[in-house]
Amino acid sequence: MAATVSVSKGVFVFKNGAKAASKKSRTKDKRTQSLYCDSLWYKTYKSLWESIETQIQELNNAMFSNILCSLVNFLKNCYKDTVSEIPAAALLTGINMPDHSVQFKTLKKEIKRSITPHVVTLSGEDCHSLKYLVEIMVNQLVKSEQLIDEDSDSDTRQIKKSQCSFTLLQAWYEELYQPPGTANSPKKQKTKHNKNIIVVIIPDFENFAPKVLQDFIQIASSYLNVLPFVFVFGVATSLNAVHRSLPCYVSSRINIQVFHSTPSTVYLNNILENILFSRQCPFHLGGKVFNLFTDIFLFYDLSVSGFIQNFKYAMLEHFCYGNVMALCQRKHIKQIISDFSHDDLENARRLMSFRKLVESESPEARIALLTDDNYFRNVLLREVRKIVAYLPNLHLFLRCLHVLVGDLPKAPLGKQVRELYACAVSRNITKSQEYKECFQLLAFQSRDELCNKVKRITDLIVNNSEGLEVGRVITDRLNRFLDNLHNLDQEEDENEVAQEGISELMGRLQLREKLLQMSKQNKPMNKYEKIRSGLLNFLSEQFEIYLQEPTDFHFHEIFFFNDISVQTHIIGSHRAAIHTALNDPHVYLQCPCCEIATDSVILPSMPDISIVYKLHLECGKMINLYDWLQSFLSIVDPQETEDNPKVSPQLQARFTQAVAELEYLGFIKSSKRKTDHVARLTWGG
Amino acid sequence: MMSTLSRLESTLPCRSSQIGQLYNLFGHNEEPFPGSVYISGGPSVGKSIVVSRVLEEVGVKHAVINMIECYTSKILYETILSKLCGLVDTKCENMMDFIDHLQRNRSEIHRSVLIIDKADKLRTMDFNIFPGFLKLKELTGGIHISVIFLSQIILQKFYSKTNIVEPIQITFPQYNKDELLEILTLDIDYARNLIINNAKGGGFEFDVDFYRNYLNVFLSVFYRNCRDLTELRYIARSNFLNYCQPIISKENTISDSLALWRKVAPTLKQALQNLYLRVSTVTLPQSLELPFYAKYLLIAAYLASYNPAKDDKRLFMKYHGKKTKTLRDVKKKSKVSEQLNTVLGPKPFSFDRLLAIFYSIVEDKVGFNNNLLVQVSSLVELQLLSSLSDSSSLDGAKYKCNVNFDFIQTVCKMVGFNIRKYLSDFSHM
Repeated sequence: MAATVSVSKGVFVFKNGAKAASKKSRTKDKRTQSLYCDSLWYKTYKSLWESIETQIQELNNAMFSNILCSLVNFLKNCYKDTVSEIPAAALLTGINMPDHSVQFKTLKKEIKRSITPHVVTLSGEDCHSLKYLVEIMVNQLVKSEQLIDEDSDSDTRQIKKSQCSFTLLQAWYEELYQPPGTANSPKKQKTKHNKNIIVVIIPDFENFAPKVLQDFIQIASSYLNVLPFVFVFGVATSLNAVHRSLPCYVSSRINIQVFHSTPSTVYLNNILENILFSRQCPFHLGGKVFNLFTDIFLFYDLSVSGFIQNFKYAMLEHFCYGNVMALCQRKHIKQIISDFSHDDLENARRLMSFRKLVESESPEARIALLTDDNYFRNVLLREVRKIVAYLPNLHLFLRCLHVLVGDLPKAPLGKQVRELYACAVSRNITKSQEYKECFQLLAFQSRDELCNKVKRITDLIVNNSEGLEVGRVITDRLNRFLDNLHNLDQEEDENEVAQEGISELMGRLQLREKLLQMSKQNKPMNKYEKIRSGLLNFLSEQFEIYLQEPTDFHFHEIFFFNDISVQTHIIGSHRAAIHTALNDPHVYLQCPCCEIATDSVILPSMPDISIVYKLHLECGKMINLYDWLQSFLSIVDPQETEDNPKVSPQLQARFTQAVAELEYLGFIKSSKRKTDHVARLTWGG
Repeated sequence: MMSTLSRLESTLPCRSSQIGQLYNLFGHNEEPFPGSVYISGGPSVGKSIVVSRVLEEVGVKHAVINMIECYTSKILYETILSKLCGLVDTKCENMMDFIDHLQRNRSEIHRSVLIIDKADKLRTMDFNIFPGFLKLKELTGGIHISVIFLSQIILQKFYSKTNIVEPIQITFPQYNKDELLEILTLDIDYARNLIINNAKGGGFEFDVDFYRNYLNVFLSVFYRNCRDLTELRYIARSNFLNYCQPIISKENTISDSLALWRKVAPTLKQALQNLYLRVSTVTLPQSLELPFYAKYLLIAAYLASYNPAKDDKRLFMKYHGKKTKTLRDVKKKSKVSEQLNTVLGPKPFSFDRLLAIFYSIVEDKVGFNNNLLVQVSSLVELQLLSSLSDSSSLDGAKYKCNVNFDFIQTVCKMVGFNIRKYLSDFSHM
């Protein structure tokens, strides 16, 4: 018992409990980590995920840097001239706040680094009234300064939250930037020359109570000559939202500059093309799963961070299959395979595509594959290497194909690389109907367009095939085609075939015959057309070689994750989950007593609520409570009800509680229309 | 003595009668101050500046309190004490403490004036503040202190059951066109700077008449729509460069005012569209990116808001039976536009109805899952829908659609949906 100086009886708080708890949780973390951290697959997963995460971070920063630059420039210059209105930047972010919180954090950091230490972020949830808003803002501003000055300033007095008002802010600001003549500490003198602006960031403009914001802007504008405020609004919908919530006497106090951020579809495409579809990421999503994720993105939420989380989940699911997934990387494959234990190899033998491999082999080889570990190691190494060689080519040629077909009319294969990818990993893209359509359309392309595209393809191959022999061969061929196309200019005129003129003096019948004849006979291809068809044939051949289906490869499961069952984990469906839980509790409880063959069976061993729920499914819109109770009793206690018309109080209490629980879950509600009845609220099930 | 008055009148044009009144009240050293003065007038008619300038000129100590800042009475009292008496860090919770503090600093505040700006806020604060301030001289036991209220509403709005002492009232009327012209002409220095800074190589000197010409042209377009001085000054400043553009590019001379007028008129008409908006860049045509199903949910919400529920069966079901034409239907066809649902404003609808309409207008099968439901709440968060029931009730949540017909039409165009087909307003066409 710790001693206190107090003589009164009571409960006293000793402030060491919290620390102990946090220590505990940390040790717990360590314990859960140690479960997997030795396994091979976990190490691979971890290193891969970390590299992807850092890459995404970098890409984020690079993408946001553009808009960040212009914003920072705006903030820097907004007080160059004297202002009569508060400068404000409206950043049109697009819907999805969670995605943008990172951006605003970066913005805040950047402002702190390069412009001013006085930055505040205000969120709508905290600022219900003007009082809270001002208190939070002033507190943040004054506190942040104190943290820096803590060692130098001896008289940092504690400021209570209720004291925070604009008067305090003004006093604080004037003290900070008093004219150099009266300044006493040398350290402060450095900052004297230019007063730093005060930036107020409001990331979720729509969530802010308009009244609070109006008052705040009016106050801030009345202090404009003393406190140089700048606002940054994050607007999710459109600028209309600003005008809707600020009346003209408020909006005349601010001067809004609009900034646009990149739409989230562009953002996702960038992440996909630069990170996930690159040689750095050996883990691939199969067609079904990939389509699922992109559908969630496009149809439901447009959230890139959601997409990344889904991707991460798929990775986890993929890697925890077993140690054989440790092979899902580009290097050290030989090393890893030779380290594999017998169990790990068994793990590999359980992959579905291994069966196909066995079936295709001769009987002796089959036995060797199944029993001889060393033989199997060699086969595994050979097959995995095949896939490792295939993957970069897949991406490269997908991009080439994208260049070729992305801008075709109606874009049969889609306009984005991701659409091509989804097609290529789920079936053989070169055999598909859309692919054929595309090449038919390509056969009508003009020379300039085609030249341009071929040029871009060669550039792509040159830039991306480091040390790949095939790359050089292909580019050589393509360059030759290009040269031919360019040289065409001079030759064309000479080779112009003189058209057989249709002589004017011809009978109508003759003319018709002539025209018929002309339409039947194939026009001889001119030189350009010949080159074009040659070129397209060549490209098509290349695509057929490199754009194979992943399932053609043995052990493709190591690199491609195509288990659609993740759907149930990714897309929550609470109503179905509740229904299953109540209708068939065995699914969740896993107890032997509640196992049922069909849905309609009701066992007395089930939880009360589940019995009541199952009984209510059989009822109509109104449920008679007494009948319900009787059927409940007949299941829970069959003998008792037959002998004794009086209901035991325990059972009735159990029933009442179960009904109350159902009401709480929203399945029924009490009704005033009929006495002793409740109304059913859900249908089907 | 008259020189102060004339000096004031020259710096603050068009307000001579008000300045005279104020001067009479506060300008004479030997006279006692009035107890309280109530000044009313619309926005930007010069209330604050006139009052503070007059008091400065006659050398009366005064403090300006902005009521928006004083969201609690505590802050109000403490701000007054710190500004008037120089008392920092005093605690003052109520009127009695406040009076007490004032009495202790009697000598300090002798012959001083308290100016309460945005006094309309007083109506929503504690009941005793406004009457208390009206009688401040009496309550403090005869300290020579006066209170000036600046407000946009008339005094009658303050009347309550308890009688209040009638203060002296001064009204600031709105400026008329000539007065606006005169005041805006004072802005000529800014305009000159603008020309010198922005006209590369083509800077020129101009006189007051040239600027007045511009303002005449400018007011002829804007006076009908806007009398707010600050707004007019803002627009006048931002459009002056456009007016001078032909001179800078040496197409016209300064004296050619008619040609200048003809050239600037379209620009001014365009600026009229952006009145009060204060957007410095031309915004791109707005494109709101919403997920596919969220768009359909929004369309469904619009349909639910602007169609009567009894028409749902006819609009969304395949076999809804034949409808016999009655005389009422025929009459309905000749509806005047004021009775159209789309004009009348959104009606609330239940969540179930929203989902039912959503499922009937979306062609492919959509799973009913959490991601879909989250969309509804995120639409509410974006203020495209508004929730009418409180969040605690689980079933029967009601919503309203906040977007207008033009907006929903652009959304429909994006997903290729013909909304007119499903609106009962258009069904007879």
